[in-house]
Amino acid sequence: MKNPLRKRILREMCKEWKRYVVLTILMVFMIALASGISVGNDSMMAAIEESYEKYNIENGHFELKDKATEDLLKAMSSDISIYEQFYKDSTEDHDQDGKADSSIRIFKIRKEVNRACVMEGRLPERKGEIAIDRNHATNRKIKVGDIINIGEDPTEVVGLISSSDYSTLYKKNSDFMFNAVDFDIAVVTEEAWEEIDSSIIYQYAYKYNDPPKDDSEAKVLGDKLMERLAVLAATGGYTDDKEKAESAKNDSALLMEILKKKESINELKDFVPEYANQAIHFAPNDMGGDKAMISVLVYIFIGVLAFIFAITTSNTITNEAAVIGTLRATGYTRGEMLRHYMLLPILVTLVASAIGNALGYTIFKDASVDLYYNSYSLMGYETRWNADAFLVTTVLPMVLMFLVNFIVIYRKLRLSPLRFLRRDLSTSKRKKAMRLPSWRFLNRFRLRILLNNLGGYIVLFCGIAFVMLLLAFSIGLPQTLDHYKSNLDENLICNYQYILKNYEDEEGKEITTGEESAEKYCVTSLETIDGAHVGEDISVYGYSEGSRYVKINEELKENEIWISSPYQKKFCLAKGDTITLKEKYEDTSYTFIIAGIYDYDGGLYVFLPRNNFNRIFGLDEKAFTGFFAQEAIHDIDADMIYSVVTLEDIMSIATQLDHSMGGMMDMVAWVCLIMAILIMYLLTKIIIEKNATSISMIKVLGYENGEINSLYILLTSIVVVFSSLVTAALAILGLAGVFRLYMGSLNGWFDIYISPLGILKMITILIVSYAIVAFCDMVRIKKIPLADALKNVE
Amino acid sequence: MTKEEFLTVSNVCKAFGTGDSRQEVLRGMDFTVAKGEFCVLLGPSGSGKSTLLNIIGGIDQADDGYIAIAGDKLRDMDEKALTRYRRKHLGYVFQLYNLIPNLNVKENIEVGAYLSDKPLNIDELLNTLGLWEHRYKLPNQLSGGQQQRTSIGRAIVKNPDILLCDEPTGALDYNTSKEILKLIEDVNQKYGNTIIMVTHNNAISDMADHTIKLRDGKVRKNILNDHKISAMELDW
Repeated sequence: MKNPLRKRILREMCKEWKRYVVLTILMVFMIALASGISVGNDSMMAAIEESYEKYNIENGHFELKDKATEDLLKAMSSDISIYEQFYKDSTEDHDQDGKADSSIRIFKIRKEVNRACVMEGRLPERKGEIAIDRNHATNRKIKVGDIINIGEDPTEVVGLISSSDYSTLYKKNSDFMFNAVDFDIAVVTEEAWEEIDSSIIYQYAYKYNDPPKDDSEAKVLGDKLMERLAVLAATGGYTDDKEKAESAKNDSALLMEILKKKESINELKDFVPEYANQAIHFAPNDMGGDKAMISVLVYIFIGVLAFIFAITTSNTITNEAAVIGTLRATGYTRGEMLRHYMLLPILVTLVASAIGNALGYTIFKDASVDLYYNSYSLMGYETRWNADAFLVTTVLPMVLMFLVNFIVIYRKLRLSPLRFLRRDLSTSKRKKAMRLPSWRFLNRFRLRILLNNLGGYIVLFCGIAFVMLLLAFSIGLPQTLDHYKSNLDENLICNYQYILKNYEDEEGKEITTGEESAEKYCVTSLETIDGAHVGEDISVYGYSEGSRYVKINEELKENEIWISSPYQKKFCLAKGDTITLKEKYEDTSYTFIIAGIYDYDGGLYVFLPRNNFNRIFGLDEKAFTGFFAQEAIHDIDADMIYSVVTLEDIMSIATQLDHSMGGMMDMVAWVCLIMAILIMYLLTKIIIEKNATSISMIKVLGYENGEINSLYILLTSIVVVFSSLVTAALAILGLAGVFRLYMGSLNGWFDIYISPLGILKMITILIVSYAIVAFCDMVRIKKIPLADALKNVE
Repeated sequence: MTKEEFLTVSNVCKAFGTGDSRQEVLRGMDFTVAKGEFCVLLGPSGSGKSTLLNIIGGIDQADDGYIAIAGDKLRDMDEKALTRYRRKHLGYVFQLYNLIPNLNVKENIEVGAYLSDKPLNIDELLNTLGLWEHRYKLPNQLSGGQQQRTSIGRAIVKNPDILLCDEPTGALDYNTSKEILKLIEDVNQKYGNTIIMVTHNNAISDMADHTIKLRDGKVRKNILNDHKISAMELDW
């Protein structure tokens, strides 16, 4: 015979349908979200994994100053296959108004390595046609068939592509953030490419003949290869032995030998192994992070729901104490009772998991994938069944629900049948009630209610903390971005930073400009060797004496520097500290003493006087890299300009984050509001139900509804307001911690910022949610019949 | 013919509290009950009758002395064995019925039937209890008498050796009380269960085979009733 108690389960659900519907909705939503993100993520990750073979993604690429000769390429190709992938950077004018809207990197159609996936349309077949990045096109509302200007030439967009080595649109690997709004990748035919009026960047992709087995082997191979290529380039392919090459400085015979290869002598300008290429790895890494984050959120949330269930069941056990005592007295085992009371939470979790997974694999997966397609230039994918998602969204929530309920219910049922029959379920050994301070009667009454329902109020606090964390995220992130932008706008060093190819023209004359605001400066890039983020790019600026742009009025000794405030914050540095930075592709390192902190949010910078800069880096006394300027410089030949850094470039992180997540934040805030209402509804319902007999009794005694509300609703209101204030502070601290960890893995830094108005908004949203719940509670209290007090009184 | 001794209560002592607040509820109880006997534990409030019933039921323990059912001493049983003992031998009826509110009459009786390998026929029992027409009603749709009938049904459906009744008529009016007592009497006669009923109503002892009068935790009188009357003849 099946246990007849199971017949109660469905009836209990029907009787308390509001509670179970709310719990199921919350659980379904969370599970569907986690499942959607997990399935979407893993399906896309699988597509990315397969793309290495499908599109033949490089093992890395390097950039030379000039085109490599056949000899040099031959010398370089001993253990790698090298593929030309020259590109030109140009501008893109979408609306053909004559003003550039974004920059575009144009390759010839790559047929061997880093092939493109055509997402819509086709690849270009003739001059005047171009295929551009799908994500950028979406961001800029460009469609197949549109005509856009590349440079000044009208060109038809015939296809939208995802380039396998640019799933994330990083213009430079050292950039703080990718930018799919202002930067584009494109392919054209060879003929069309030749006609683009822009300097050629000599980039070569390589693939190992004997590919590394993992990232650590790839790193060892990559480091060796970089050194070898640098030496080969510098010696025109004569040798890859660094010591031998360096000995040429003192060995004129050797120097003469090398100079015979003069035609082939070149310079390694950039080297990016695949494992370190942000354009390839940022998207999958970010997806992995999202998956981990959503898993943690699911566990916290299911934990809160598990406690709600456990408290509900615990109250049911209290109400049914006499029945349980009778059943236990007649021979029902503790195990049978435990299984009975645990069945409902497990059943609801199971149903929620089934519905949640179904929604996860359909609607939520699509939403999650759309979110990634909105940020990244990903290829097509196929939905795959995902064991991890099943574990995260079904098995682990079930285990969590089981454990929490098992512990709480087991503890409750541990008591003897007699204790149940006597309704003596207190596990405390305290025989006397706790003495309370001599407050007014109603305040003491409230305190008793609080102590009696402490478990419920603690879970209410945790639920509010959970919602507050999401609120801090949804309100804090847009505010942080706005704050960053406005701060940067206000204290930007200058509007334009020009970087020249050389400070002298071909005739050896120094390049000058008539632009009044222009000021010479030097810049180079070093990388960190320790601290919060090893290998982070640090821009080292050499400013002119009495600079209008870098306002450091202190005279610095040769090894003294100032660092920008983000550098100081990220690496926890202070004035007087010593830092060591190294050249990117060499072993040369430099040690500096921090003489001051420069308040500038633009990035991780080091500042020192230009003459010190030139001395330290072995440059001519009069050498400089380019010009700071407030206005655009028009009198320097475009061929002499390597690049221009504008406010938009520096702000690219904020722009991209705003684009990727900004729209979603409002939605998150609304979800928070709904979640806050539902969680508080459930918990206050439990508290009122637990006290239904007492409420009924004081009604019998003559208390009015207003007075009863002032006891129960006012107390809960105080708890909610208190919890809101405390959890708002905790949520901001938590968010700052999470943000710090996140920033640690990126190049660059900015602080989380939530204005007092933002904090007020967080608290207000929560309190408004509670006001709705409190109204429901008032109605619920009003409906409690007086007869309740007379029932079950022995 | 001497009836077979089934339940032995030997020198059972029980006290609650410690120090000044220590209260001896049972002070060395001794008596036996024969199999199939209708035994009434009679006494005023505080005489220890409910405590004794709980110890017989294996849901409380004696400080000293022992209870034995068919020779098996309860004090030698661990918790699991006690649960098995209750499952196999005991049925409980309480003053306040303790029915499961969201199970109907029939299902509440099934809750008892589930514990037995050979339960009584539930439909037949519903007829015997006079609950056939009410079998699909929930407890809150029943009168007190009907609820107590259901509670008795739940207790006897597994055909227990001993039916323990703790003031089963304590919450009922005169006529309903007599109906319930009649029912218990019928059950005793029909199924041959040993019945131990706690009450403070003197009149009920007239329908019992055996009355044990308790006062201040001791057996004051142990009476075998040779002239018992039917429940319907009782008057108080």
